Amino acid sequence: MYRCRINGEDIRLLGEPTERLRDVLYRTGYLSVRDSDDAEGFAGSDTIIFNGELKYSNFILLYQAEGAEIRTAEGLLKGRELNYVQKAMISAGIVASAYNAATASLILTWLLEKNPYPSREEIKEVLTGIFIRDAGYEHYYLAVKLAIELRDTGAYQSEIAPSFRPKLEVIGKPVDKIDGAALVSGEPVFVEDKVPANAWCLHVLRSPFASAYIKSIDVSEAEKLDGVAAIITAENCPDVYYMQAGQGNPEPSPHDRRLFNRKVRHVGDRVAGIVARNKEIAYKAASLIKVEYEPTEAIFTVEEAMAEGAPLVHNGPVQYNAGAPDDLEEFNARAGDEREGKVVYQFPLHANIQKNIAASNKGHIGDMEKGFAEADEIVDVTYQTTQIQHTPLEPHVCYAHVENGRLVVNASTQVPYHLRRICSWVCGIPENKIHIIKERVGGGYGSKQDILVEELTAYAAWSTGKPVYYRNTREEEFIANSTRHPMRCRVKMGGKKDGTITAIFMEVCANTGPYGNHCLTVPMNSCSKTLPLFKVDNMGYDLKVFYTNTPPAGAYQGYGTPKGTYALMMAMAELAEKLGIDYKEMVSKNHIEEGYMLEILKGLGEGREGNVVPVGSCGLEEAIAKGCEMIDWGKKEVSEDPDWKIGKGFAMIMQGSGLPGLDHAEAIAKLETDGTVILNSGGADLGTGLDTISAKIVSEVLKLPMDRITVVSGDTDSCAFDTGSYASSGTFFSGNATLMATNNLKEKILAEAALQLEEAVEDLDVRAPGEVYSKKTGASIDYYKLTHTATSGTGRGQMVAHGSYVTMAASVPYGAHFAQVAVNVKTGEIKVQKFYALQDAGTPINPECALTQIYGAVMKSIGHSLYENMVLDRDGKCINANLTDYGAPMIGDAPEDFKSVLIDVDDKDGPFGAKSISEIACNGAAPAIGIAIHDACGVWVRSWPMTPEKILKALGKI
Amino acid sequence: MYDMKAYYESESVQHAVELRLAHPEAHIIAGGSDVLVQMREGKRAGVELISIFMLDELRGVTMEENGDLRIGSLTSFSHITKNPLIQEHILVLGEAVDQVGGPQIRNIGTIGGNTCNGVTSADSASTLHAYEAIVELTGPEGVRRIPIKDFYLKAKVVDIRPGEIQTAIIIPKESHENTHGFYIKYAMRNALDIATNGCSVNVRLSEDKKTFDRVRIAYGVAGPIPMRAPSAEAFITGKEVTMENIELFAQKVLEDINPRDSWRASKALRQHVAVESAKRCIMESVKRAGGVL
Repeated sequence: MYRCRINGEDIRLLGEPTERLRDVLYRTGYLSVRDSDDAEGFAGSDTIIFNGELKYSNFILLYQAEGAEIRTAEGLLKGRELNYVQKAMISAGIVASAYNAATASLILTWLLEKNPYPSREEIKEVLTGIFIRDAGYEHYYLAVKLAIELRDTGAYQSEIAPSFRPKLEVIGKPVDKIDGAALVSGEPVFVEDKVPANAWCLHVLRSPFASAYIKSIDVSEAEKLDGVAAIITAENCPDVYYMQAGQGNPEPSPHDRRLFNRKVRHVGDRVAGIVARNKEIAYKAASLIKVEYEPTEAIFTVEEAMAEGAPLVHNGPVQYNAGAPDDLEEFNARAGDEREGKVVYQFPLHANIQKNIAASNKGHIGDMEKGFAEADEIVDVTYQTTQIQHTPLEPHVCYAHVENGRLVVNASTQVPYHLRRICSWVCGIPENKIHIIKERVGGGYGSKQDILVEELTAYAAWSTGKPVYYRNTREEEFIANSTRHPMRCRVKMGGKKDGTITAIFMEVCANTGPYGNHCLTVPMNSCSKTLPLFKVDNMGYDLKVFYTNTPPAGAYQGYGTPKGTYALMMAMAELAEKLGIDYKEMVSKNHIEEGYMLEILKGLGEGREGNVVPVGSCGLEEAIAKGCEMIDWGKKEVSEDPDWKIGKGFAMIMQGSGLPGLDHAEAIAKLETDGTVILNSGGADLGTGLDTISAKIVSEVLKLPMDRITVVSGDTDSCAFDTGSYASSGTFFSGNATLMATNNLKEKILAEAALQLEEAVEDLDVRAPGEVYSKKTGASIDYYKLTHTATSGTGRGQMVAHGSYVTMAASVPYGAHFAQVAVNVKTGEIKVQKFYALQDAGTPINPECALTQIYGAVMKSIGHSLYENMVLDRDGKCINANLTDYGAPMIGDAPEDFKSVLIDVDDKDGPFGAKSISEIACNGAAPAIGIAIHDACGVWVRSWPMTPEKILKALGKI
Repeated sequence: MYDMKAYYESESVQHAVELRLAHPEAHIIAGGSDVLVQMREGKRAGVELISIFMLDELRGVTMEENGDLRIGSLTSFSHITKNPLIQEHILVLGEAVDQVGGPQIRNIGTIGGNTCNGVTSADSASTLHAYEAIVELTGPEGVRRIPIKDFYLKAKVVDIRPGEIQTAIIIPKESHENTHGFYIKYAMRNALDIATNGCSVNVRLSEDKKTFDRVRIAYGVAGPIPMRAPSAEAFITGKEVTMENIELFAQKVLEDINPRDSWRASKALRQHVAVESAKRCIMESVKRAGGVL
């Protein structure tokens, strides 16, 4: 037992003397002290104030805390009241996925105590030891400013974010995120906070080989250990083929795996799952499992995968649930070893596993040959992108247990309903027997669109009856999770002297790793969310996706678009240079505008015929014009230090707002017995503010104050179906479902009021603060009275309404991202001096969160462009599978002058005119920076990451 | 939970020495930011540790009567940076250790740990080499003082003998007096990154500030252990303070250093950066020394 003072209170901490203080504090109830890096000393989620200094509590051993004065974020609260810094953080929009937001509030409070008016540099300095991946760092400066104002004057003086739609009350205005207080104060809102002390641990034994058959596996010694409930392997797991992508059913991804396979296909692939009473027993059991591997030759690049006679990653029989080809029997006759397992397609993906092709697609409009023949100049250039990991602060985590004959799964997921379906398949139980509870998600970015740990945890709990907890290590996040597909994009582009582009051809080769999650659709996006930016009559694409033995790839914010945009914009800049015209002029000459018919979309559906539509609301031109003005396009900047050369670049960007014809969202709105509203939304708030959007929509439609609306979301028992939060669908689909449900509820309210007031429905409307009034007689009745009468025992019952939203409308967000970089031609160093992100998000429902989502996405993509890269050794082992070596950007890497601008465009299909905001923001940094680097020093860096080494080599310095 | 066989807490330097003799296989743990990272997730399982964490007498910076600066081995990076003696006499060392990690690490990590792990990329290492620091070790035979260049034996191996612990780093008066230095950490990112190259230079100029009376340069990550560049130093000592001499000096370092290719950076890049950093470091040092270029 160790005595110390925590937040001014004498506390006795129990535990082993050499336990990590972090673990003990968390266990003792200081939940704000979290761990994002397995005690690596990088992410800072474990920061505490220890004897007056900021320290990582992972590096303090329990006994060292004897007599210490400790502070955690819990000490910032007075009862339930947040402190001024926490309030300001919520208002500034930085309490997003918020896994370490409480910790950040402690750090900033400590700073302001010591230094009441810190400079930007001092704020930056204190935040160097904390990793923020969601909201970017820019609004942390705003939060400090707001906190100072609140402290000194009791109110904010500065504008938090611009406001939109003056006639609306809450939509388009900064209003505190409704889950902000729970997140910033360290309440038990994450999966890990729901795990009881008696939970068993699931540990996965992983493959050391990139490709091997499991010749034999002997678990008998391990099973004998006390405290081992089960060891799940390929020998005893369900014989169910599925895929881990959280996509609509039928999925455009092959079912090419089981829980465990007899062939391992990457270093880190699952070999055995051990359910044990605690970690120590699980590790011990893992060490007792005897596995005999039969290694086979592995491949890691698309070039290796496509080579003649290449080893095959999958070589079993294939099955089609629809659209089987005529030569299937012949094809399957060539299948290899039976340990290969099989591959099942829901429908054809134009795959050929006997050539390592997981999926393919090609198409064109116009006449490519003619288009290139008309060109005065042609560029034909290839760009390569790398393997990138999402690095959410909260790793993949799941808690599952059996209760009353049902499987209950607490998950950190973007897709509660897909998750339920896949658990149902794997466990062999119907969906009514499964309850998925989406907790707050401590960072997803697409990696939690996939069911990477939940199906195994669920099966472990269901098959053993034990409550089972699983949490990825940070290393597992890299090697056994999901990553951005590395892609090779070749762009051939022809143009005339006046800048008119005559033809564009994109050839994309993508690396999906060993399994085909999103294998067709991610690469498709590299074309379908880029080519439609161009008013070009002749455009074609040919994409092939290859299986290899790298760590698996999957969905990542932006999907394939950042890579296609990088290639296409860079190629256009290269062509502009060749033609001798200004890049901006070329952009202006060729970009689409509202009403332009997008023929190119025909072939670019998600595995089916695409929907040809005209361009809808479009702020592209304004974004380009405004951005050029802000960055002073065309003006050559000169540094005082001649070694630093300065250049500018920009890129057009687009995305979607969900998948028309595929996505689907539902909501149920209930008027409770006191006139308040509970909205059950199928949507999954990832920290982006979707629940706040839902509440704002209800508030706006029913003229009801925000605090009388509660949103319950992502819970499969109480909510209705929603495909989930991916493909930028949250605001558009789930928001529209909420709007429908609320409009339907309003109709019911008016109908009930008409009866109670004995007036005609046409004469009635709702008004603040939640009542129905008659435009004819002036009579009114508030919601309380209305619902009370309706549920009085003689009334007509509770007013409950449902909304189900599907659409063929595509509300595409547009934008342009601008960069000014300085390149040191002596050292190769690259500084992003300015970054301006201009985006048309339709009506930004939460403008402050819209801005921080943009900042966060841009920071990620600056990382992808300049630093981040998973490096594999010759055997396919990732040698930088930790945060320090991997290279995600921190506050010191943020642009010096960083601005996000919301272009005001109203959209006819979005809820209150809203379109999507965050995925698109991942698309611009790489090309904008790449083009700016060329403008600065004349070098085209055609691969990620754009490093000093590549620049110095191109300059002939090394 | 860290998997360790035993953990011994030293109550005094003498006790630490006894523990070291009694448990020769045990590793020493000071602040913990290196050793504990290496022990994560079952790695180095079953290790024995001797902690010197409680030895407050090893914390702090003092000036000895003879003008030597004495930095206790357990002094944290942040305390070194903030220390007035450091700021006055060897500013560059405070700046160098301020580039380690973020504030949370700099409040934990110690200069003793940073040198005893024997890593070439340690941010303090090049500056300590450039200042010809003396490492003080206390063992069963008493105190032993050795030049830092002899302390580093090979990659990750330093000269700590059975029973010894490092108790201080000493910067002799002759080394810091009238001397001004500059450090450049070249890394891929701006914070929390490991150095691709670390370069530390210090100069002593003649009274008229026209001549290099003494120039010392040392590198991290230019070889398996931190190293000086003797040819470059020999070339420029006694020479006039001119850009031409500085350019030649910087080129000369290539005769001394031996960086390697790794996944982080190529040998060619490291060599190139070593030259560029040498140049900038000496220019900045000259400015700090009151010289004009």
